[in-house]
Amino acid sequence: MSEERSGTWAVAAASQPLQRRDSRAARDRSKYVFLLPTVILILLLSIFPLLFSLAVAFLSWDLSRLEGGIRFAGLANFITLVKDARFWNTTRVTVFFVTGAVALEYVLGLGVALLLNQITRFRRVFVVISLMPMMLTPAAVGYVGRMLFNESKGPINDIIQMLGGPMVPWTSEGSLALPSLILVDAWEWTPFMLIVLFAGLQSLPQEIFEAARVDGASDLQIFRRITFPMLAPVSLTIILIRGLEAFKLFDISAVMTGGGPGTATETVTMYAYRVAMKNGNLGYASAIAYSLLIMIVIFSTVFLNSLRRRTAAGLD
Amino acid sequence: MRLTMSQYQRIKLAAAYVLLTLWAVLCLFPIYWLIITSFKQPIAVFRGPKYFPWIDFQPTLDAWNYLLFGPVQKEVLRSWSNSALLAVSSAVLAVIIGSMAGYALTRFHYFVPGLKWQNRDIAFWIISQRMLPPVVVILPFLIMYRFVGLVDTHVGMILAYTVFNLPFAVWIMRDFFLGLPTDLEESALIDGASRLGAFRKIVLPLSTPGLVATFLFCMMFSWNDYLFALMLTFSRASTLPMYIAGEGTQTYGPQWWYLSALSLLAVAPMMLITLLVERYITRGLLVGAIK
Repeated sequence: MSEERSGTWAVAAASQPLQRRDSRAARDRSKYVFLLPTVILILLLSIFPLLFSLAVAFLSWDLSRLEGGIRFAGLANFITLVKDARFWNTTRVTVFFVTGAVALEYVLGLGVALLLNQITRFRRVFVVISLMPMMLTPAAVGYVGRMLFNESKGPINDIIQMLGGPMVPWTSEGSLALPSLILVDAWEWTPFMLIVLFAGLQSLPQEIFEAARVDGASDLQIFRRITFPMLAPVSLTIILIRGLEAFKLFDISAVMTGGGPGTATETVTMYAYRVAMKNGNLGYASAIAYSLLIMIVIFSTVFLNSLRRRTAAGLD
Repeated sequence: MRLTMSQYQRIKLAAAYVLLTLWAVLCLFPIYWLIITSFKQPIAVFRGPKYFPWIDFQPTLDAWNYLLFGPVQKEVLRSWSNSALLAVSSAVLAVIIGSMAGYALTRFHYFVPGLKWQNRDIAFWIISQRMLPPVVVILPFLIMYRFVGLVDTHVGMILAYTVFNLPFAVWIMRDFFLGLPTDLEESALIDGASRLGAFRKIVLPLSTPGLVATFLFCMMFSWNDYLFALMLTFSRASTLPMYIAGEGTQTYGPQWWYLSALSLLAVAPMMLITLLVERYITRGLLVGAIK
């Protein structure tokens, strides 16, 4: 967004005279010296692996089988994938996790950001405190989640029982393990939503709110008609960013639940990892990994389209 | 009784403070729990949750002694120093290479003929690499690293983390350079400075806030990573998250005291950094998200 505002103009205004003053040869040289290291690294260690992975997905390459070696297998891995109930389960788990975690994080983050926007004192204290969870190593966060949600020795059940509630089988009951995981993820990542939404709130022009208040609009009306619509572009952007990250979930669940009980919290990344490292089936693991990439591409395309639609609507 | 406007405002403000305090408690409780558990004796862990040191349990240094001076000392220190070495060196590399590319994308004009790409498209191509799920590229990494002997080496891990962080570094530095006035570098160029010289002596010193924010984020990503370390290392170059995960999934209740201390070793540096340079971190987050 800011790119349109400051960027294009800054470049147009600044780079023309600069380019004239360098000698042509020196300019051409530095032009490539500056950009090439990045491009080469990305081509070599990001694009090449990506294509390599795609190629492997069409191979039968199983380290656990002595005979056979590496053969071209056509679509065999993808056909196995479509018929694999465990794969569909991991997809369901991942999509459920992404939806639940991102929705919870957004709603909570927006709520706390609105509160933070109302107060004037101690703002920085609350901001620093909110930053803490997000900076922590996910493996350690998974481990903390494991302790907190432990059924007999964890504090969460203890507090629930003190208040007269039942003993909740957080991580041993299949249907509760994933929500527990979502809660832990929300603990770590709501702060991200909060900080960005708070900055978004601060950047809104104050005159509109004053005008609305003078006209006698209630707080709820102001939120529904002004604040929320004006935050929409920021909201969509951070939902996209968090969604993309949430699709890759691995570390928190690996430590907190290990994908269990059974396969109740096994994500696509975890399944691909297991197929590759535990079973040694590199071809099939690549096919699974690629299906995750496809999910992410679909998700982000849908999102970017709705972002673009909103921007276009705003221009009318 | 009807509330007057100012009474209503005051109640609203008070409610906001109460709710925010509740939020702060939620944020801090797990960290508090980690800290007190690391000072518990195994027996205090085993008898169900205890909340307050000296009141419902007697704190000890057993876990810390075990960790720092006991039988696991060597492994713990190695994981910790590996984590630090990999995080810092890959962040430095990503910042150097990334800021050069970010600078180039704001000061030169590029055109890729076959694809009709211009600067914007190149920038988008670079940042889109960050959206890739790591699991897609990690298998080829493993196969390639086996081939060239980089598995479980520091060099291999630094390279992997640098590439992983590069898109983000380019993106954030590009955004920073877009807002940087160009008069000073122009006059340096007129005075006969080379482009690289002007970049090093004038542009970089002016960009310290952006460089610091980028460095911190890259360092955090590498320090916190688990998947790359899990796939590409097993002993010599393995990191702290690996160690936590390895211990954390094998043990139950009674080991909590020791694992909590271990987790604190992993999270303490990042928490300290957050406290010291919160401003830079907030800034980096906003560039990454809003712009």
